[in-house]
Formats: sequence, C-alpha cells, structure tokens
Amino acid sequence: MTPGALVIGYGNVLRSDDGVGWHIAERLDNDPRFDDVTVLQRHQLTPELSLDVSRADLVVLVDASQGHPAGTFTIERVSAVEHSTTTWTHRMEPATLVGLAQELYGHSPEVHLVSVGVASLDVGDRLSPALEAAVPRVVDAMAELLAARIGQHLVADGSRA
Amino acid sequence: MSSQIVIDPITRIEGHSKITIHLDDAGEVVDAQFHVTQFRGFERIVQGRPIHEMPSIMARICGICPVSHLIASSKACDAILAVEPPPTGADLRRVMNLAQIVQSNALSFFHLSSPDLLFGFDADPAKRNILGVAQANPQLARDGVGVRRFGQQIIEWLGGKRIHPAWVVPGGVDAPLSAETRDRILSTIPEAMAAIERALAWYKSSLLRWEDEAASFGDFRSAFMGLVDEAGNVDYYDGRLRVMDADGNLLADRTDPRDYQEYLGEAVEPWSYLKSTYWKMLGYPDGVYRVGPLARVIVAAQMGTPRADLELDEFRRRLGRVPASSFHYHYARLIDTLHAAERIDELLRGPDILSPRVRSFADVNANEGIGVSEAPRGTLIHHYRVDDDGIVEWANLVIATGHNNLAMNRSVRQVAKRYVKSAQLSEPMLNRVEAVIRCYDPCLSCSTHALGEMALHLQLIGPDGAVLDEIRR
Repeated sequence: MTPGALVIGYGNVLRSDDGVGWHIAERLDNDPRFDDVTVLQRHQLTPELSLDVSRADLVVLVDASQGHPAGTFTIERVSAVEHSTTTWTHRMEPATLVGLAQELYGHSPEVHLVSVGVASLDVGDRLSPALEAAVPRVVDAMAELLAARIGQHLVADGSRA
Repeated sequence: MSSQIVIDPITRIEGHSKITIHLDDAGEVVDAQFHVTQFRGFERIVQGRPIHEMPSIMARICGICPVSHLIASSKACDAILAVEPPPTGADLRRVMNLAQIVQSNALSFFHLSSPDLLFGFDADPAKRNILGVAQANPQLARDGVGVRRFGQQIIEWLGGKRIHPAWVVPGGVDAPLSAETRDRILSTIPEAMAAIERALAWYKSSLLRWEDEAASFGDFRSAFMGLVDEAGNVDYYDGRLRVMDADGNLLADRTDPRDYQEYLGEAVEPWSYLKSTYWKMLGYPDGVYRVGPLARVIVAAQMGTPRADLELDEFRRRLGRVPASSFHYHYARLIDTLHAAERIDELLRGPDILSPRVRSFADVNANEGIGVSEAPRGTLIHHYRVDDDGIVEWANLVIATGHNNLAMNRSVRQVAKRYVKSAQLSEPMLNRVEAVIRCYDPCLSCSTHALGEMALHLQLIGPDGAVLDEIRR
C-alpha cells in the first residue's frame, strides 16, 4: 500500500451490527495489507472529517446498512454533491462529506462506500454470527479494492511511480 | 376555532423533541410548548452499580458532551471517596473540560447555527446547511472544522479517543501528561484562536442584520446562573454559584453549589421528559433563570484571560451588562470559546503540568457525593448516594438543558406569537421557532443512535382532528 489511502469505519458499537464499520477498521490494524493505510474509527461522519478526506488520494468508508441482506455487502463509488438535501444534525451523508472536502479544501478524492447488511441492531457490543462470518470477506474485498485503485493512482501520478 | 401546530422533530439540535403551538379561535398563538420526547432514565439505570463505574456510565449519557458528565461524575465520586485530586490532576481535568467546551461550542455555532446566521432565517432551506455555508463563506466553514477538530484532538490526545474517553477517573486522571502531548497541543492553539477571533469579527459585523430576531428570540427578564472563582471570574471546573437578576442584582453569590436542593426546585410537566428547574425563592414557574454561555458572561466579573476580556468589554458596550435576549447566546458562545482556548494555553504552561502525581486513591469514605461543573450548555450537577460498599442507591442529575427548560418554553412562546400566523404556515416562520431553541443549544442526550434522517413535520390540526395545513422537510 502507499500513503494517501484512508479508511473510515463508522457506526455505533453498542448497537451490535451497527458497529460493523468500527469492527472492520479495528481488524485492519493487524493486517499487513493495510500497513500504509490511515484507519479511523468514528461513531458517524462529521464535517471535521472533510480535512482528512481532502488530504487522501483514496478513501474507503465502511458502514452498516439495513438495505442489504445480512452479511452481504456492496462497494459503491461516492460522488460529491453540490447541494446537501439533509437537515443535518451532527452526522452527514458520504456524498456531503466528499462535497465538503471539495468546497473547503479544493480536493475530493476517489471515495468508495462499503455497505454491510446487518442482522441485528439490538443493544450489544458484539457482531451477530452472520456479520462475524462476513467480516473477513469484506476485509479481503477492501484489500483488493485498495490494491487495484492505488495501482491506478500510481500510474496516473507519475511522480509517485 | 382553536387548533394546534406541531413541529416534530426539531432539527439541528442535540436529540429529539418537538414543539406544539396552540392557537385560539381567532387563529392567534396563545401558548407554545417545547417537548422533549426521548426518555433516557440514567438515574435509574445506575442504581446497583459500583461507584467506580459511574464516570464511564454517565459519560454515555451523551456523545457530544461526554467529558462534561465525566467531570461532574468524577467530582461526585471524589466526594464519596473523600479525596482531593492532586493539583496537576485537577488541572488536567480542567484542560479536558475546556477542550470539551471548545468542540461543543464550535458544533453549535459553526455547524448548527451559522447557516441561519449567514443566509438569514428566510433563506431557502436547501442551502441552510453546512455545505451551503462552505460554498458561501468557506473561511467560516473551515474555521468551524478547525475549531471543532482542535477541541476534539485535545480530548483524543489526553484520553485516547474523542468520544467517551475514560481518562478522567475518581481521584484525578488516569495518566500524567507527557511533554510531547503538551507541546503538540500548544502548537495548535494559535491557529484555533485565530479562527475563533475571525468568527467573532464576522459575527460582530453582522449583528445589525439580526436586530428583529434579537428583539423576539427569548427577549425577557430572567435571572442568570453560573460558576465563578474567588475573584468572581468565570470558572468551568470548580467555583461557587452566582445568580444575577435582570437588573444586575445578585440573588446569590459565592453559594456552595452542593447545596443546590436548598434553592433549586425541580418540576415535572406531563408533556415533557425534561425536568424544569426553577429558583425556589421565586417559585414555579416564575423562578426562571438561564445558564450556559450567555449566563456565564453575564454573571462573571471578567472572563479572566486577556483576549476574552477584551471581547467581553465590547460585548457589554454593545449590549449592556445584562442583555435579555437569548439570541445573544451565539455571541457569548464565541467569547466562551475564546476564553477556553486561552485557559488551555495557560494551564499547559503551568510549571507542574507534567507532574506524575495526578490521582489520589481511596476507598468509600462517605455515603453521599455531589459534583458540579460548567458544561458547554451550563451548570451540571451530579448527586449520588451509595451504601457502605459503594453501590449506588440513588442518583439525581440536574443538567444544563433542564435549567434552561422554562426559558426555552418562554422563548418559543415569544417567537411563535411574533412570527406564527395560523392562516399561512411558512418555512421561515417554522425555522425561527426552531432557531430560538438552537440559541440555547439544548443537549437532549443523543448522538450515537442508528437513526434515519431527521425530517421536519409540522401539522396544523383543527379541533375535529382534520389536518388544516401541513409542511414536511
């Protein structure tokens, strides 16, 4: 891996699978495939992260999703929005975060959102068995994504080659 | 035909609540109520828990101001252990508490309220958000990000994480400060102060634009309460209570906050889970008083740091000694934030700040303890009773938003009467009703829920239950 890659795992670790992003981020610490990746754990996306995002070349956000079958996941490219449609309280949508990075710091990197389907949002600090089983697959997919996309960035950015 | 308007939920505040506006037969506003609709029940949850768990449990009350609860809870536990933290331990607690003030105030001013202040209360709601601020005034938005990160980073560097750090413990703090961390924090202070002062300059240059709102956003006579030190200057960690009335007379001074039950009453209304605290001498509900940044800058003789004192002098020249309008919470919040940054700098330059003696150890030595501090939103009181083994039997929390509950209800009524006309519900009208609540920055204990978007839903309902008008966003 190379400097410039950022992973943000976010969610509520006291609501079981809602914390899957946080749990995944934790597991990257001991995975050599992520040695040069900056990893952050947060309860939610907030405007302060726009500075971190703007400083990265490649960002992977990892969140729980109620819109996916439990244990399945998708990886989608996130584009910056120019206008926020949310009545923000103290969390924000990924596209708004990317838009904020662009507006404030003039750089919105390539951003991907990993959404992992949840089985339980009950009170609890552990993942459900379905999510425990899914986490290694998600981590492998993230490693592949980062390796492939960082390769592209190195080709595109001759100064880093 | 009488009817009522419901705003549910209120947006850009910490937590979940709604507002009901009651209209008379002529369609005029006769009453309005601010309902807190979430129930947490921490005072019951902690019963049966050992006293050493209390700070960590109580910090979970909120994801925005966990440090405030850590501080007040640890102070209550200090009393039960009958210990005084070593001076360095107390100073390090102060630093973290001040960092909490900074980051929470920044959230309130820059992220929640600046869209209204920048674009005006009649502006298109589509741009009244942080992205809109970033496009219209990127420096203001960058300063918001910078100031909040400054406070959050100090908490993280001291406590290991930004939210729910466990570093503040009964008896002091868990680990001493390293020279590296001290220097790291000190290096970030000039930039944070510059950002706060830019925001102050922008705010002051815009004051005239909001004259109409300032005249109706909670513009009424009340008392103000806050902690002050021996010199009468603002004190966030310790100190004595000072209560000042609308004419600047002292209702109480140098009062021991641990005697709060003698002069503060707590009333419960069936339409809200939030208690209404009142000044007993004036009775209920007349005993309304306000706490938080506006109260702090009013009751204190001075802030006690050079740059904040200059700003306070100007604040008083512009608005008088006891400005009545809650709109001025915004202005006071910026002065509060500037002072907090200055105090962090002062404390970190103290000769003993790197001392390894940061914690006192003891077992249970008393059956009752009360901890009081200033949270971002005002005076915070934790009161516990334990058995001889240190098991919690009873707890009472008086939070800043409870102190302000009567004032918030009065403010909502005032704004509703000024702006709400039943025939035509409009977005600017509703925004002002919400915005007056945001002045107080109420913390309804929230932050880490897995919830969907907070939409605004307002209905005008006739006596027969029919929806006469409706707005969603």
